[in-house]
Amino acid sequence: MNGPLSLIAEITHRCPLHCVYCSNPFVMSGKVDELSTQTWIDVFQQAAAMGVLQVDLTGGEPVARADLVELVSAARESGLYVNLITSGIGLSPEKLEQLAWARLDHVQLSFQDSDAAPGDEIAGATVHARKLEIAQEIRRYRMGFTVNIVVHRHNLERLPQMIAMAAEAGAHKVEIAHVQYYGWAFRNRENLLPTRGQLDSSREVIQAAQARLEGRMRIDYVVPDYYAKFPKACMGGWGRKTMLITPSGEALPCHAAKIIPEMRFENVREQKLGQIWQESDSFRRFRGEAWMPEPCRSCDRRTRDFGGCRCQAFLLTGDSHATDPACSLAPAHKEVEEIVQLVNASHSSARERAQAASAPRASWEYRQNPR
Amino acid sequence: MAAARRISFLSARMSRPVETSKPRLAAGCRVGDLPGQTTLLLIPEGAFELNGPGVRIVSACDGERTFREIVRMLQQEYRSADPDRIEQETADLLERLHLRRVVDF
Repeated sequence: MNGPLSLIAEITHRCPLHCVYCSNPFVMSGKVDELSTQTWIDVFQQAAAMGVLQVDLTGGEPVARADLVELVSAARESGLYVNLITSGIGLSPEKLEQLAWARLDHVQLSFQDSDAAPGDEIAGATVHARKLEIAQEIRRYRMGFTVNIVVHRHNLERLPQMIAMAAEAGAHKVEIAHVQYYGWAFRNRENLLPTRGQLDSSREVIQAAQARLEGRMRIDYVVPDYYAKFPKACMGGWGRKTMLITPSGEALPCHAAKIIPEMRFENVREQKLGQIWQESDSFRRFRGEAWMPEPCRSCDRRTRDFGGCRCQAFLLTGDSHATDPACSLAPAHKEVEEIVQLVNASHSSARERAQAASAPRASWEYRQNPR
Repeated sequence: MAAARRISFLSARMSRPVETSKPRLAAGCRVGDLPGQTTLLLIPEGAFELNGPGVRIVSACDGERTFREIVRMLQQEYRSADPDRIEQETADLLERLHLRRVVDF
């Protein structure tokens, strides 16, 4: 089995924001359970030795860790390309300078909206203005700079403004990512799912912006698989490209895998990464095709989408082996169809939207912090 | 329709290096550090696999050397290859990388 190419290092679940679409699990690691600096450094060295090329330092909010600069430096020293995935909150000019000196390769800064009021509502914290300031600080340094904006029913109408904001902030790339329904996003699903009309207009806005900004800023667009005919090739296939390490050291094939009840996961405190990757039951469980039910097992697309997402299959059907319900060929496809129809029926006409706008605000389930 | 075509013609022209261009790897883009990574061009959350000449070209994009100097260097290193082809393919690679926002000039 070829080794992973990327390592996702969830170095903490602590975070100053409470975004309603956070994909972190409900049961999070507390600060006392977090891996030590030295353990992470050892993980980075093992990863580089296995052929991993890139590490994403993420969380929670990775900046919440006091040893972040040391971790970046060590990751870089071990030969990894280092990406920092951050809300920007907690960064200061001094910290950025230290991170630049530690040879951080790339920062991905999140925004929730182009406007402060709706952005801060989604984040559950007053953060939008600070993010704009941090963006100006980031562009003073010679590192990759991406703006990430998660899009959903409540901010898609401002897609042109959000793209303009990213360009003005000096981003080299903007990632417009539709919500993926795991963790808190799943709980807030009915409030977040866009309408078909919004999806169609968004596609046009994206294409026009890509043409207009070609050579100046890249625009990556991730569509919601609830609207697709076929499922996404989740993580590039189970246990094929990526290994994720949680704050307490569990090695997962993806950020959501712990919801699958029958799985046992190994811990980097006890085992080597190489052994976990090659031999653990968790990483082997959905590799290859032997696990696939029909229609996946004889489907032409199985080598392209690897049978879709196991976590989503479990979330929607209770069976982690089931065909991903996002697939139009899935026996449980109605699980996705029904919520799509519900959202489109309640929110499509302008009159209904106006009524909804004057009605009491949708109640969000905000992401909680670990204790 | 004509306006759209003209705009894309313009951007294609600006994406192709000229003699005096000084190509430079964009921020966050670098060749891999480790022995096993030297043919890899690492970019934010991605990588390009480069062949031999590709590695030479990319390593020469330091923002100091002009496109003309880079082509001359390659023509000297790959003496048996057709010099016009070297120039064409170097420009092709740099254009592709520019459109991906990996090389600036």
